[in-house]
Amino acid sequence: MQLRDFFTLEAISLDLAAETKDEALRELVGLLGLDEKSRGILFKMLKRRENLGSTGIGRRIAIPHCRSLVVNRLRVAFGRKLPGIDFDAIDKKPVQHIFLIVAPPLEVSNQYLPVLGRIAQFGKEPDIPERLAQIERPEEFIALLEEKGV
Amino acid sequence: MHPQLELLLELQDLHTQRRALQDEPLRDMEEAVFDLKPEEALDLLDAKITELVGRLDPGIQSRYLSFIGTLGRAVVPVLNGICYGCFVATPTAWSAEAGRNDSIGVCAHCGRFLYYVD
Ligand SMILES: [Zn+2]
Repeated sequence: MQLRDFFTLEAISLDLAAETKDEALRELVGLLGLDEKSRGILFKMLKRRENLGSTGIGRRIAIPHCRSLVVNRLRVAFGRKLPGIDFDAIDKKPVQHIFLIVAPPLEVSNQYLPVLGRIAQFGKEPDIPERLAQIERPEEFIALLEEKGV
Repeated sequence: MHPQLELLLELQDLHTQRRALQDEPLRDMEEAVFDLKPEEALDLLDAKITELVGRLDPGIQSRYLSFIGTLGRAVVPVLNGICYGCFVATPTAWSAEAGRNDSIGVCAHCGRFLYYVD
């Protein structure tokens, strides 16, 4: 399993319009191409997860995630906001790089946990925040995943 | 979408989240990577679940509680005409019209609430 297999170019935004955490979550959910009702339910679930504790893991990275009935397979998206967004992160610093992961409650191949783990591992590599900040096209994001072999 | 179905979906997702926090590998990751406090999180989820269950209509509420209590899943997706609660294609599960989620449907075979996913 490789992370690059899960990301499509349409689900990568290198210039989020969002100014707040809620707007960022909505914008990322919007990248998945779901209908309006499903988007609303997914946003609500992601908010509920954030209410339990922020998914901002520090070093300007956040990984909002949840399982929901409104998706029929594992979906991921990536959004970047270079000026940063207040995400109530562990280190209290603004977040620039947001990885969204959503999966149905039951999956045949059970990829949710491994994908979440790999993204967390990717985010912990020392040069990643800087490298993500330098990317100019979505293709370069995919190439970075490949380069890191995650 | 039927407002009660929306509530049911939300509740089922909260139950899924609750179960995830009791599942060891995911709970460990939530603690290690996200610094989550599982016990506090479970209390918060339980409070929300109680609140939402209180908003279900009585008939829907009793069916919901009986399925959640015994089998852990009261609302299940329908994909390609198959109920993912019992994995049987039932006449109710074959409905293909738009607006399928505008009413509350239950599987003719297992009785769970159905949610049509595209
Ligand atoms: Zn069924």
